[in-house]
Amino acid sequence: MADSAKLYDTIVNGNAKDAVAITKEALAENADPLELVTRYMIPAMDEVGRRFECEDYFVPELLLAARAMKGAMELIRPLLVERGAEPSGRVVIGTVKGDLHDIGKNLVASMLEGGGFEVVDLGADVAPEKFVEAVEQKSANVVCLSALLTVTMPSMKTTIAALNDAGLRGRVKVLVGGAPVTQQYADEIGADGYAENAGAAVKLARTITKV
Amino acid sequence: MNGRERILSLLNGEQADRLPFMPITMMFAADQLGVKYRDYISDFRVLGEAQLLTAERFDFDYVSVISDPAREAADLGAAIEWFDDQPPALQEDRALFADKAALARTRVPDPLGGGRMQDRVDGVAYLKQKAGKEKAVEGWVEGPCAMGADLRGINTLMLDFYDDPGFVRDLFAFAVEMELGFAKAQIEAGADLIGVGDAAASLVGPRWYNEFVWPLEKKLVDGIHAMRGHVRLHICGNTRKILEGMGRLGCEIVDLDWMSPLQSAREQMGAGQVLLGNIDPVAVLRNKPPDAVAAAIADCHRQAGDPYIVSAGCEVCRDTPPENVRALHTYAVSNRPGARR
Repeated sequence: MADSAKLYDTIVNGNAKDAVAITKEALAENADPLELVTRYMIPAMDEVGRRFECEDYFVPELLLAARAMKGAMELIRPLLVERGAEPSGRVVIGTVKGDLHDIGKNLVASMLEGGGFEVVDLGADVAPEKFVEAVEQKSANVVCLSALLTVTMPSMKTTIAALNDAGLRGRVKVLVGGAPVTQQYADEIGADGYAENAGAAVKLARTITKV
Repeated sequence: MNGRERILSLLNGEQADRLPFMPITMMFAADQLGVKYRDYISDFRVLGEAQLLTAERFDFDYVSVISDPAREAADLGAAIEWFDDQPPALQEDRALFADKAALARTRVPDPLGGGRMQDRVDGVAYLKQKAGKEKAVEGWVEGPCAMGADLRGINTLMLDFYDDPGFVRDLFAFAVEMELGFAKAQIEAGADLIGVGDAAASLVGPRWYNEFVWPLEKKLVDGIHAMRGHVRLHICGNTRKILEGMGRLGCEIVDLDWMSPLQSAREQMGAGQVLLGNIDPVAVLRNKPPDAVAAAIADCHRQAGDPYIVSAGCEVCRDTPPENVRALHTYAVSNRPGARR
């Protein structure tokens, strides 16, 4: 019989192989997929975020945990869709135009996904119109913009302006982050929030979407 | 003392007349000369003139050929995205070693083979010829973790530490072999010191830093020392948890980013280590008024104690107000090493 509680440990320890095996076994035994997510997977990623914030975990551990979580989620997601379960929120995320740095954005995307959000990752060097298109198509309620260079930070402002021009600004919250980005800059460009790291981004997304 | 004498005195454990001043400038320097960054990184004469102008204008004690992390990768044939007026970037989805088997088939490039590495070596020679008596000339190479991340893809490399430790060791060994050749060419061209930039090392945490990164950083540092070069180690990001290891590398200068506390570095690295840095280049140096910059750098010096070099935690951003860079300079020229403690 599957020991679902071990799903928590496999994710925290970044063991994708065992995370998938336990999930398969649990589902074969008719475990509730939503319970697997809410009782084990989201708390596991919350713990990973906590360890990352207090510098017990670093980027490799976070990416390994995210890979384990995603492996399990691939098995679970079709079942959740089947029963019409809604995610905590829909997030469109990307590194802004002109910037190819994506590891910070990937960490945030993984943590948001682990936190129960549906995440549409547009990748790096994303033009403002691509963000607009994705928000419209996916009915997103959060947009996350990342930049690593001071020279590409203005693309955040351009992207917010594009969301405004498209009449979408009222229905999405815009969060910004990246090494050179500050709360002051977020305020200047009219973003709804700034997060210093991946764990803080999840907390902020939960707060602004009232999850 | 001129700038070169000042820096070398400090590195040799002798008394300098005042604190050396060594900010990293790249796009800021290109803007001083009024050239596009693509031109700055493509022609050593342009880079050289921009460095000379910037060093003269702000009274830096050194000039440097640091420019972007894609010199070695370009000569290896990696896929690179070029921009008109910002640094090039490696294309991770087409990483050179996306297929791990490619590592065994790849030979280290000749730093004098007419590519982007040679352009940097030529830049060192140009700066040495134009200002080598007055200013220290700094060459630059990538550290093993940064170079490994450039060639393998940084996201993939982070998983490789767990999935394939042997490959990581081979990749880092390849990087160090290449960088030692690159450093040698720059030292022979006249570099007084070699900057080692190992940005990705701040991401991996102490366990994997000590197991995989440190031994290869040590090999690189020892190799540069054997060529009679001094080493400035710069790891971008938060290095709080690996400071002790960084101190044990034996680098003449440990250059800390703003997230790493200088006081903790001093405690862990000992009284003799030259520390450099580390005010926040964006939130303070770029965004605050000169009096706040002056207060911040004084606090850095207080934390670090001596021996100490005045600088920001990382590259001076291109749109930093000149008066803020001058505030750093004023602090440097107003303080004699050891006099304030």
